[in-house]
Amino acid sequence: MLQIEAWRPTVTRTPARAVNPLVPDPFERLFLEEYPKVVAIAYRVLGDRSAAEDVAQEVFIKFHRSLSPDSERAAGWLHSAAVHSALNVIRGERRRAQREIAHALDPAQTPAANPERLVEEAAVRQEVRQALRKLPQRTAALLMLRYSGLSYAEVATALGMKVGNVGTLLRRAEEALRKEVNRATPE
Amino acid sequence: MRHLSDGTLRRIYDEPLALTSVDQAHYDSCAECKARFESIGNTARATAGLLSVPGFTPEPAAALRSVQVRIRREEAARPPRWYERWLGRTSPRWRPIATPAIAVLLAAALLTGVTATGAAQTLLRVFEPKTITPVQVSSSDFASTSALLDYGEVKWLPDAPTLHQLSDATAAAAESGMPVLMPASLPKGVSGPVSFGVVSHATGSLTFDAERLRASAAQKGVHVNPMPASINGSKLIVNAGPALVEAWGLSASTSETQMPTLVIGQTRVPTVDSTGATAAELEDYLLSQPGVPPDIAAQIKAIKDPSSTLLIPIPKGLATTEPVQVNGVPGLLIKSVLGAGVVWQSNGVIYAVGGQLTPDQVLAIATSLH
Repeated sequence: MLQIEAWRPTVTRTPARAVNPLVPDPFERLFLEEYPKVVAIAYRVLGDRSAAEDVAQEVFIKFHRSLSPDSERAAGWLHSAAVHSALNVIRGERRRAQREIAHALDPAQTPAANPERLVEEAAVRQEVRQALRKLPQRTAALLMLRYSGLSYAEVATALGMKVGNVGTLLRRAEEALRKEVNRATPE
Repeated sequence: MRHLSDGTLRRIYDEPLALTSVDQAHYDSCAECKARFESIGNTARATAGLLSVPGFTPEPAAALRSVQVRIRREEAARPPRWYERWLGRTSPRWRPIATPAIAVLLAAALLTGVTATGAAQTLLRVFEPKTITPVQVSSSDFASTSALLDYGEVKWLPDAPTLHQLSDATAAAAESGMPVLMPASLPKGVSGPVSFGVVSHATGSLTFDAERLRASAAQKGVHVNPMPASINGSKLIVNAGPALVEAWGLSASTSETQMPTLVIGQTRVPTVDSTGATAAELEDYLLSQPGVPPDIAAQIKAIKDPSSTLLIPIPKGLATTEPVQVNGVPGLLIKSVLGAGVVWQSNGVIYAVGGQLTPDQVLAIATSLH
């Protein structure tokens, strides 16, 4: 099996206190609260900062056109739109590998790292993303939402499933991803 | 006891506190579950590695600024909202009046009507709704070319009604002169902010002109029955509004397809007065015109007193109606797959509540307005 060092989610979240409860506009308040999660989901899928920011922006524009920021469904809608939009990007993408390797070598992104290792890791991420493309959309969405740091309750809301089923489906999704990755890179 | 499921074990890897005390007791004493948990944890750790990405710090404030710029640009170029298009299409001129049955239906639907003005005593009231009745229509009823016939001169005194959008309840109440109505509570799925629309009070007149009708029918190649002398030259005076509409679920940059989740509307009862022709003469003549679907004419003729009946067009096969009581007043409940609505009249005001809601939700809102 393909092995790389596991590390915890590394997207820095905006601390809750940075969101001003006095921001009068409900859309602005929602944006400041949810943007870090939405962009983290897109980034987890795409592995590319500027592409993730583009997806997050589109998600919020679409939200603004169609839902009220006070809607109970707001957060779930945003998370779901973020993961599906980002998955649609990787499903339609052809030149991901080159972009990602270039991104890995960008000194602004990773000042003190070993370039060879970064290229290797980018190549691994590319393989993983190819495996993700082969999974059913809902399976891939579940994995990406959970590994973006969403709670089981948030994942359940975003994907319209019972919270009690998230563990079972997540377990199956992890197995499915492992099989796809192993199929692509036999030991 | 049964072993813990894979799903439960997977969840406690991420959320250990989610384990119930019974499951915890089993887990603590079960070597098999512990071994499975270990294996599940290994897969989760490996997956975390596969799905890892380099770190980055999002910048919400900068992102918000660029989203706001785009929203402002889209709003500047946005098409008119559905109800703006709806009112804009019908109110500047009374084109639908050309086919009277349809004119009456649309007038009712648009809460547009006619009233006596200063010289009220000399006028004959031909329309002042006191009851509400559904009329079944199909979309083809509105496609008739005779709907565009010219029955005479239309004038607004002094101006055609306008729609003004506001986001502030106090300003909407002040402009409409009507109280802003709020339900006791909003059903799930309906939330603020509320958009307000105020349609100004308007008085308009139509002077029937047999010659203009004949010329316009000839131009369109349509046969019309000659206008009786009792109608020719007589004038209908419509007095309508003001109306206040409150809509939930419309964001600032509404797309063309977006429908509100809840709408509450109220308007003063519209009235129509005639300087000559009686209600019966108008009804007989206008319903006999070509282009008036026979089943609609039959439905209107079956109404005992059309001049005091507000007709609500109901699309055939798409919606059903039933009589209901709203706080002791008779009303009409409309049910369709898209949602529900209720219309009733009380103390000279017509009220309507509708939206993407169930009939029960709509009735609960209607009875709780304050």
